[in-house]
Amino acid sequence: MVTKQQTATQSQKLMIFVLTMSLYGLATLFTELIPKFQVGIVEFSVEYFLFIPLVLAILFDPMSAALGAATGELVFSEIMLGQFGGLGELEKFITVTIGVYIAGRLVRNPKNRTMVGIASMTGVILQQLLGTIVDILKVQFAVTDFEAVPGLPESVFATEGFACLNDILFSGILFCLLPTIFLVPRLYGKIEPLLGMQPRTEETALGAINAKVVIGALVAFAAAIGAEMLAESGTSIIDWEASWAESGTAVAAGMVVAAALAVVMLLVMKKKAEATDNKLENA
Amino acid sequence: MSGMMKKMSENILDKFSMDFLRNQVLKNAYGNDDTLIAKTDPRVLLVWYLFFAVVPWFMNDLVFLLGCFLLVAVTTIMARVAGLVLVLFGLGVFSQTGYLFVVSLLFGGNTETIVPLLVLTLKVATVSLASITVFSGLDPDRLSNGLMWYGCPEKLSFSISYAYRMLPMLMEEFQNVLLSYRLRGNAPDSKGVMGKIRYLIYQVKVIIHSFYPLMLNTAKRSRTTVEALEIKGYRYAAVNKEIKKMKLSSLKVTYNDMLFAAVSFLWIAVVVLVMVMI
Repeated sequence: MVTKQQTATQSQKLMIFVLTMSLYGLATLFTELIPKFQVGIVEFSVEYFLFIPLVLAILFDPMSAALGAATGELVFSEIMLGQFGGLGELEKFITVTIGVYIAGRLVRNPKNRTMVGIASMTGVILQQLLGTIVDILKVQFAVTDFEAVPGLPESVFATEGFACLNDILFSGILFCLLPTIFLVPRLYGKIEPLLGMQPRTEETALGAINAKVVIGALVAFAAAIGAEMLAESGTSIIDWEASWAESGTAVAAGMVVAAALAVVMLLVMKKKAEATDNKLENA
Repeated sequence: MSGMMKKMSENILDKFSMDFLRNQVLKNAYGNDDTLIAKTDPRVLLVWYLFFAVVPWFMNDLVFLLGCFLLVAVTTIMARVAGLVLVLFGLGVFSQTGYLFVVSLLFGGNTETIVPLLVLTLKVATVSLASITVFSGLDPDRLSNGLMWYGCPEKLSFSISYAYRMLPMLMEEFQNVLLSYRLRGNAPDSKGVMGKIRYLIYQVKVIIHSFYPLMLNTAKRSRTTVEALEIKGYRYAAVNKEIKKMKLSSLKVTYNDMLFAAVSFLWIAVVVLVMVMI
């Protein structure tokens, strides 16, 4: 029993999910509201309390904690406060999941403080870097003639790069590294019995990060980039059509097509639902 | 303008307390059931949202973006969204693009930079207001039902319903833990710059410390929650088609919903016409 890997049952996974979701959701709700200190162009903001999912991912099943954190942020701070941004949220969801999961997998023995520290910093840096890459791409496709606007490209790179560095150094150390090192040893052995689980030890850890984890993370990040790229190519198609027709009517037609597309989508979805309903009735 | 902003921020700091926050969130979630938006079918609203969340990103015409912005502004007023959410929206949108404008001036930008940034601002504002209308205007239960109808993972709709019910309790507990730490602690003197910094560090430390008991308590609570769910057969019910159908049978598309969609469509068509004429 002792040498068995630390695998949680389905209901324990749900417990970890609910726990991470409610705690991290609560924390992100506060960070949304905490005022930001601006010193020149240096912005000192408490970007996030990522230490909560990091602690839980190090102590429990990393995947449930990572998904719970991403869902908690989505539900509590985005949907509840009405700040849901569509495409951008997908990217945040994926990068938070990757960062927390990798950090959780890195730690084999939660009593080893050095490893806990390295893991928490890795998680933050990973999340921030991936987020910055996607952010720069997003501004690039939202503003047409990106290169033509004087001073805009440099300012985007500067602000995004700076925000990234600022977040890693400020929030990373103050709000992830220190609290994680403080909380993990204190909670270790105390919080696991509350969920009816054995504490993680060297023998029961899930194993080191292997190729499968890395490939999985890369595929997930590619999906985040892919969503942005898809949107970018969508812009260029519409732009190309407009310049080809050289008249507003083409754009108007495009509008009608877009609106019709939405209606057709609605009809298809409804039909699909009706079909499954009928299938259920016949079955 | 700056005076107004200053007054507004003072006002926010004045009102900013845990109770105020809890009330605003609750009001936002359950306080406005009687509005037209809240009565609209969630499925219709989600399709409506999909349009205003996607299309503005691809358009660069000022007239069209302005038209979309006006429409979603009207629906936001109709949804009677809580004040806190609107203030957050305003701060978020205008600090983001205003900041970008100032930095681009540093890098040799000029007034020409305003137009693309205005377009960007309008895009961001339209998309955010559409999401505020849908996600704040709708009852959380109706919203999660609507999402479920479109085949969203059961975990997401569960999370939405659970979050809205648990949040007030969690906030209260967090406040209690925080207050008990403050009562026992000895806050440093906050005079002078160094004192202010020391005070800030102390505050942050208290917040982080208070997550320790909070984590243990929430762990206990989430175990109870999941066990209660298991007793009711939640995990099997979540994937059962028969039960899903029963749960979703309350959703009905009425004439009002169609009217809402039709009026929105008409407005957009008019805007496009104006855009073409110009």
